[in-house]
Amino acid sequence: MLKKSPVENLFSRKKKQCPFIAAGIRHIDYKDIELLSRFITERGKILPRRITGISFDFQRKLCLAIKRARHMALLPFVLEE
Amino acid sequence: MDNKTNLYEGMYILSASLSDDARQKALDKIIAGITKRGGELCKVFDLGRKKLAYEINRKRDGHYVLLYFTTVTSAIADMWKEYHLNEDLIRFLTLRTETVPEKIEFKPLPEQS
Repeated sequence: MLKKSPVENLFSRKKKQCPFIAAGIRHIDYKDIELLSRFITERGKILPRRITGISFDFQRKLCLAIKRARHMALLPFVLEE
Repeated sequence: MDNKTNLYEGMYILSASLSDDARQKALDKIIAGITKRGGELCKVFDLGRKKLAYEINRKRDGHYVLLYFTTVTSAIADMWKEYHLNEDLIRFLTLRTETVPEKIEFKPLPEQS
């Protein structure tokens, strides 16, 4: 067996798990503002996947849900500081 | 394909400046628009008055109503045309769904360490 070099260990990070898969959620609803607002910045932008650790599939679903919520004025497009 | 019946979910923002009677009348008009095209109303959720996240036509508040109904696919485009002419309606959204929920409630996402 190959032993991992200390340099490799330094850069290896624990992989985040997708919070939606972990919770067993199948569908993201646009009406669930409390959940959606956790994945937007203070300015109202959608957070990137690399920060939240959401899987590719769920990021797309989340993106669509946020956009629907924005259309219905449940979430803002931009928040002024 | 055009005559397939589906279950739809419609969210409507009615103007908050309307009186209770006028709002009920506006809602009845929307429901009548569904039923007259051969649709069937399944459930109505009154989500109440909410502050809009941004101003729409100089309005800051809106009254949210959620309807679940079944109708034929071809009727949707026709209904949208009518909605665009309706001045009491600030915004609307019609989506296809699979089931009618008992109540509008969501379980929170567990915190991750």
